[in-house]
Amino acid sequence: MTVLDRLADVLRSGLGAGRVISDRQELRTYECDGLAHYKVTPGLVVLPRDAGECARTVRACVEANVPFVARGSGTGLSGGALPHADGVLIVTSKMRAIVEVAPDDERAVVEPGVINLHVTHAATPAGYYYAPDPSSQQICSIGGNVAENSGGAHCLKYGFTANHVTGAQVVTPAGDLVELGGRAPDAPGYDLLGAFVGSEGTLGIATRVTVRLTRLPESVRTLLAAFATTDQAGAATSAIIAAGVVPAAVEMMDALAIEAAEAAVACGYPAGAGAVLIVELDGPQAEVEAQFAQVTALCEGNGAFELRIAADPAQRALFWKGRKSAFAAVGRISPDYIVQDGVIPRTALPEVLHRIDEVSRAHGVRVANVFHAGDGNLHPLVLFDDGVPGQAERAEEVSGAIIDLCIEYGGSITGEHGVGMDKAKYMPRMFTADDLETMQLLRCAFDPAGLANPGKIFPTPRLCGEVPRRHKADEPRPAELF
Amino acid sequence: MVDAPRDVLGPVAGEPAFDDHRPPRRDLVSDCVHCGFCLTTCPTYVLWGEEADSPRGRIHLMKQGLDGEPMTDSMVRHVDACLGCMACVTACPSGVRYDSLIEDTRAQVERRHPRKGRDRALREAIFALFPYPRRLRLLRGPLRAYQISGLQRLVARSGLLARLAPTLATLDSLAPRLRRVPRPPGRVPARGPRRAVVGMLTGCVQDAFFPDVNAATIRVLAAEGCDVVIPPGQGCCGALSVHNGREEQARGFARALIDRFERAGVDFVVVNAAGCGSSMKEYAELLRDDPYAERAAAFAAKVRDLSELLAGLGPAARRHPLPLTVAYHDACHLAHAQGVRAQPRALLAGIPGLEVREIADPEICCGSAGVWNILNPGPAAELGDRKASNVLATGASLLVTANPGCLMQVAAAVRRQGGAIALAHTAQVLDASIRGLPPSALLTPAG
Amino acid sequence: MALWTAATEADTVGGVPARFVAAPADTAEAAEVLRAAAAADLAVVVRGGGSKLDWGMPPRRLDLIVDTRNLTGVVEHAAGDLIVVVRAGTPLAGLGLGDQQLALDPVRPGATVGGTVAANTSGPRRLGYGTVRDLLIGITVVRPGGMVARAGGKVVKNVAGYDLGKLFTGSYGTLGLITECAFRLHPRPAAHALVVRTAPAEQIGALLAAVRAEQVVPAAVELDAPAEGPVTLAVLVEGTPAGVLDRAATLEKALGGQATDEFPPWWGAYPWTEAGMKLTAPLSRVPDLLSQGVALRGSAGTGVLYADVPVDDAPAVVERLRAAAIRAGGHGVVLTAPPGVRERVDMWGPVPGLELMRRVKDQFDPGHLFAPGRFVGGI
Repeated sequence: MTVLDRLADVLRSGLGAGRVISDRQELRTYECDGLAHYKVTPGLVVLPRDAGECARTVRACVEANVPFVARGSGTGLSGGALPHADGVLIVTSKMRAIVEVAPDDERAVVEPGVINLHVTHAATPAGYYYAPDPSSQQICSIGGNVAENSGGAHCLKYGFTANHVTGAQVVTPAGDLVELGGRAPDAPGYDLLGAFVGSEGTLGIATRVTVRLTRLPESVRTLLAAFATTDQAGAATSAIIAAGVVPAAVEMMDALAIEAAEAAVACGYPAGAGAVLIVELDGPQAEVEAQFAQVTALCEGNGAFELRIAADPAQRALFWKGRKSAFAAVGRISPDYIVQDGVIPRTALPEVLHRIDEVSRAHGVRVANVFHAGDGNLHPLVLFDDGVPGQAERAEEVSGAIIDLCIEYGGSITGEHGVGMDKAKYMPRMFTADDLETMQLLRCAFDPAGLANPGKIFPTPRLCGEVPRRHKADEPRPAELF
Repeated sequence: MVDAPRDVLGPVAGEPAFDDHRPPRRDLVSDCVHCGFCLTTCPTYVLWGEEADSPRGRIHLMKQGLDGEPMTDSMVRHVDACLGCMACVTACPSGVRYDSLIEDTRAQVERRHPRKGRDRALREAIFALFPYPRRLRLLRGPLRAYQISGLQRLVARSGLLARLAPTLATLDSLAPRLRRVPRPPGRVPARGPRRAVVGMLTGCVQDAFFPDVNAATIRVLAAEGCDVVIPPGQGCCGALSVHNGREEQARGFARALIDRFERAGVDFVVVNAAGCGSSMKEYAELLRDDPYAERAAAFAAKVRDLSELLAGLGPAARRHPLPLTVAYHDACHLAHAQGVRAQPRALLAGIPGLEVREIADPEICCGSAGVWNILNPGPAAELGDRKASNVLATGASLLVTANPGCLMQVAAAVRRQGGAIALAHTAQVLDASIRGLPPSALLTPAG
Repeated sequence: MALWTAATEADTVGGVPARFVAAPADTAEAAEVLRAAAAADLAVVVRGGGSKLDWGMPPRRLDLIVDTRNLTGVVEHAAGDLIVVVRAGTPLAGLGLGDQQLALDPVRPGATVGGTVAANTSGPRRLGYGTVRDLLIGITVVRPGGMVARAGGKVVKNVAGYDLGKLFTGSYGTLGLITECAFRLHPRPAAHALVVRTAPAEQIGALLAAVRAEQVVPAAVELDAPAEGPVTLAVLVEGTPAGVLDRAATLEKALGGQATDEFPPWWGAYPWTEAGMKLTAPLSRVPDLLSQGVALRGSAGTGVLYADVPVDDAPAVVERLRAAAIRAGGHGVVLTAPPGVRERVDMWGPVPGLELMRRVKDQFDPGHLFAPGRFVGGI
């Protein structure tokens, strides 16, 4: 009997058979998250129903010295939830209760498996919503958002998950349940919650999350502007920001991305556009009206050849549909593709786009660009056909070159998808060995044994100066935990 | 890719899951980019939250099968658990043809996976009963089932009757609708100038349990200027069979139906049951390598859902006010499989005084799904309860939908919750408005 | 050149005298100082403007004060990208960013950027702009022992690696020396208006709810409550001239108050004279903190109030206020108190997650040489 077999028995008897998956084919369905070219079949999958079960699962892993990886909806794009072959995949998709919606406190308390958009659905009747809106908001889980510090189109104005999570109950990598932050702000002591959000499952698993709810804006105006070139669209973006306007979102798509979105969802963007901008303003009516006039003029002044203003929520939804489905839509125009996620200073946008174009031509690899132009977050989609020998490698080179550009221009290797498995190798290009060593002090504080999502974020794990506990025959058996 | 860690599981002994006769197509499988946008629209994922019971997971299982994994009980269980609601097809930004994939997979399962005792008997009984309108008609009133000669033993042994009991009880609660309706004539002429000649499918369940709906459909079509041809001796369209992998049975039904309607010489074939319409629109695919292939394509091109046809024609008959608040429920095989969402809403909204309310989570199946609720009574009841709560939350007094299965399923769930809402097919609401009936004609609550 | 000089009589922290003072001029020099300090086993306290040196407990040990007065200046202000990189010793007030602003209210005269981060102070506009944790996008620190480390970067959107900036925010100098910070900026609003209303304490809950119910996006909702008598609410809106007028009118109706463009004299100032507490609560429970017989002031719109604790009755008042905050679901922390009082009260109160915090401290500062004892749980 292997360690995992024993652990499976322990967990089955402790949590119930329905929580543990060990069937070979079922395990394989968990072999990847949204970044499907990394595949590892997990040793075991556990689906806890609540925080207690989650903590017991982690404790059993600790006792057996088995690594564990947390997974929400499995939509991550950096391989952050890539399983460990000799480890346990802890899936939170059965922990999906919206525990409380408290509009008077502008908070909601949810379990980690709750879908991002469902928080907004629950809060809307009270006049509130949950602001962070990753493009996958209809399916990504709050637990995954916390792990990745997910952004979204509207974080230009509203910030990221970290700015909207005020508390979390966390299972530490030792299996303890700890409360970080809460419903009130500024808990005393170190801001461990701030450090936890975005730690990609390496500091523990959130089992209950308190999020900030945002008052629905009085007015929302959405503009679709078509330009002949990405240069013009980039210039319009800069002009809007320079004018002191903080739009809720400024999104850009280039011709190839538009083509894909059109094929997928028939979003009806203006024909012949080399780039479209979606600019959204929200807030008090009078503010929005004043700024909307400004934005419209700036788009026209920078060469927009067609401007469409969403007349109703349905048209607004159609504008966004093209943008939000763009990643998967690229499947319509290319058999395979890499979704890249890098950040540059907004002002470098036109220059970097030209550089990307050069790289793309030099390698003979097409690149579709979709991005959060307002905050310089690029999502180049590198297209290739895995069936053609050599293409995948060339695409990977282009993808890596784009990351190098981001670093060269003083940006980041990831704006919202996380480092995960995919980008650990790029970390030393952005940070020094000392930087990475220092970050890992935090990890050593939380997880000296290195069992929580090992192999992610950091290319070289730091030894924590403690010998990880090993399970010995004469130590208490994991079964006694239950 | 380059630095990717590799799978550590080795290959396993055993025959690969699929043979060469129409396995799920590998190119369609590889269209899935694993984005997960389908997950929250999938009823079984909503219920259980497990990957293998999601469209993404099922496609992954198909891929495993294509890569040589055997057809295990576990694989079959996950394929069987799919309701075939096709909400995932609507949700998929990559355009994955899950409908085609699951149909091909199911056919392989039916041919290659020996089913065991009870499950097998239950399925035999279902497919000996449901696709046959005349046998079904005998079932009206729960106790009459025992008197059906021939079927009696099969049905009793399979345990089908016990599974059917809640459905039959629901039907009983719809008793006012179950009065005897005269068999429709072979042809009903258009009122006023003729705008089209349409053939009408009478269906199995619709014909047996909701003859009123067929009658209303005929009246509405005639009022809107259609000559309505009702070919006699219509059999089943094959929807239940094709959705459950019984490919051969389905082809037989399809050929017979094509024969019947070809003789009628109609412009359109009108269907008022969503499940039937969606499978008839796909006859070309079902019979793609059959001598009937060409005729099947021509037939499929003429198939229209009732609401689709009426919305296309535009209103001719006068609508009388019908002061009612209705909740419109999207039948999966209308909304997801046929993409018909706007037309029924537009038709309803065209009735003066009638307010249409939307039901929360409209994309999630009510759990009826053909015979899925008979094969999976527990989960079906859970889905029904969710739907019933959302329906009741609209505060509407009438639930309108375009599928007999949904009507029965939601009615049973509403009754379980102690709620009350009247039920009607879109055709009945239009009929009432055109005939100037009072709202009370539609407001007999179920339960 | 010597790395440090002898301390003077004025070089004390919470009454504890230092032996040496160092004032490095850049990160590299600071690293050299801290390497040498570690080698000499010196206990270190970082000093910025000195405006909060009496906060927290006095250090258990003190040898070297690292003063940031030479670590000053804006390194980079990329206006088009709305970011600024600034050295830690730079005074927060008067950064001079043109029509842009670092939206952190300078609540302590003379406070530096580094001190503001280390003590995590915030003012009225935290409602509209967030606090340090929301604005800090990159940080350079020198660890105890002299290793230089950076986290974050110069772009707002960035999830590469752990966010050490948040860890150092509010860490009271117990994890290392902050030398440089990058912040996101906001445009300076063209116009502002305030709506002020004074009402009995019992009505404050309803008035706050009325403000929340409007969609006016206030930048601040401040409250000023004297020890006795009615409470004043002041709501700040910022934006375009037309928009501000419109929203102020809405607020006048909702609050039954008066619009003005004058800030009240108490705006953004702590209410205490000698001993001060920070009380937090969920929004709906803010009214529960009122009527405790002490002067309160702060951000009712985010659930953060400051209390003036009378020195003669301090232990009892602290316990009472803390109990009220905890009952409401928040916390009560004594930010500062005179020496005689500090020893008699529990400065921090209960701290959830303290065990993890100790482990973090042990990792960053295994010798416990940085501000030992100043922070929670004696960290």
